Amino acid sequence: MKFLFAVITTLLSLFTVSSQAQFRTNAQNLVLTNEDSLNYGSNKNKTVISGYGNANYQRDFNKEQSTATLERVVLFVGHRFNEKISLFTEMELENALVLSSGESDEGNGGEAEIAMEQAFLKFNLNPQQYFVAGLFLPRIGILNENHLPVNFNGVERPLVEQLIIPATWREIGVGFYGSLNNLPLNYDVALMTGLNSANFEHGSGFKEGRQQGSNAFANNLAVTAAVQYSISDFKFQVSGYAGGTVGLNQRSADSLGLDNGAFGTPLYLGEADIQYARNGISGKVLGVYVAYPDADKINVAYAKNMGSGMYGAYAEIGYDWLYRKQKTAQLITFVRGEILDLNSNLPAEPKGIYDGTEKQAHIIAGFSYLPIPNVVVKADVRLLHTGPQNPALVINPPPNALPYQQNNQFLNIGIGYSF
Amino acid sequence: MHRRKFISSSCKICLLGAAGYSVLQSESCSPASSVFKTPITEGNLNVPLNLFDKSALQIVRPNGWYYDVAVQKNADNSYTALLLQCTHQENQLTPTGNGYHCSLHGSNFDKQGNVRKGPAEHPLYHFETSVNNDILNIHINNFKP
Repeated sequence: MKFLFAVITTLLSLFTVSSQAQFRTNAQNLVLTNEDSLNYGSNKNKTVISGYGNANYQRDFNKEQSTATLERVVLFVGHRFNEKISLFTEMELENALVLSSGESDEGNGGEAEIAMEQAFLKFNLNPQQYFVAGLFLPRIGILNENHLPVNFNGVERPLVEQLIIPATWREIGVGFYGSLNNLPLNYDVALMTGLNSANFEHGSGFKEGRQQGSNAFANNLAVTAAVQYSISDFKFQVSGYAGGTVGLNQRSADSLGLDNGAFGTPLYLGEADIQYARNGISGKVLGVYVAYPDADKINVAYAKNMGSGMYGAYAEIGYDWLYRKQKTAQLITFVRGEILDLNSNLPAEPKGIYDGTEKQAHIIAGFSYLPIPNVVVKADVRLLHTGPQNPALVINPPPNALPYQQNNQFLNIGIGYSF
Repeated sequence: MHRRKFISSSCKICLLGAAGYSVLQSESCSPASSVFKTPITEGNLNVPLNLFDKSALQIVRPNGWYYDVAVQKNADNSYTALLLQCTHQENQLTPTGNGYHCSLHGSNFDKQGNVRKGPAEHPLYHFETSVNNDILNIHINNFKP
């Protein structure tokens, strides 16, 4: 906690120093709102503080266990140096409590972390094109770029965009974003650090391989690109990713029998989605496929059990019951169906062992109530069905462990905010 | 055989692409016509009204600005001119079929500039407009985003 306070204080003091040139006091800078800035008009630079957060309750009916956590508190600090150059940062505290090594945990031992979710400079070329450089979130899927709790239905983020597209997925790199003059088409392309396959974990796809700007290997790189098109009430997007997953030097990679280099031992991801919104009715459809052709080499080198192919898809429909009343408030009921398989393709045994629990179907139904667009109260029920457990992967079989149940139900209640 | 198949496939893709482009360019599908670039003259952006014959939404780009102005012709023949600058962290906005979207944090605004999704809290900045001899005057005055 002391560390968090020190970091926040340091950040604030840095921005305070930079904005003193405008002859405003520190307090004035801290309370300056976006509206004030517009009214000022002639001011070219300013600092904005904002953020988001959410707290959740979950009941796991199979385990007969309830948990509650302050899942995220995120602080944005942005600064506009001039009309061409801006800074955007997001610092995130997950699960409320971070302990330094050696301290005892009197709580329930939930995983917590402090992380920079974004920290990048933006260079405007013109109203439609800009570069970003630093730690940023590539445009892959729907949630990765727009992950604030007020902007998606369900207490939990869609499972497909947690496990197949590991949002929030950020890396250090440079990106170019733009849109066309004569068509409502947005595009982007980015070069960033790749994944670290040494950290891949069975059960979470390649999520643990994200390097997140923390002493990342940069021998391996990745390219990502996306195209968005808005037509009538629809928004279409396709995005892709290709990147190396071995950032070791030649000697280390050779000793493990792996291909290194910028795009050595590559992982490919392709995604497409459609969003719809009209008269209070909203819908989303997303599909994603990941190919990891050299998964067998990783499984041998690091004793993993990674699939060489994985997929996910979901479809959601929602309706805002207050839309026709022209209220600021929104009461959205929704239902979402998701399917995913983290081992839809596997290296031949013994280099890959099928795990039926990684093939999952989820049905989520619930509501989001937003009294204003910046605050949400949510509740939903999630029904889960998985494939059977593979006895060959069970280290601690019954009766020592409870028999695996392919069906489960969860009750989720949450609150969220953004400003 | 392979070459013939390749040429045949390529032609089909080109035709599909051309057809798709034509559909996307059609008036009914595109939410905005091309960007109209103009200088600021005596505190005004001057936009010919005939630009709205093709589309009710016209994007106007003042010379030297890093933000566009979206001008919507309303059903009562009035005009709404909005600065396409997100009121959250000043990112540029992109037009969608039913409003404007900020890709930075996901704020959405409707066609009148009202917030539909946060984190933005304030509506988009409006400019006053007036019509003079088939020209729409958008009153910028001394405003600079």
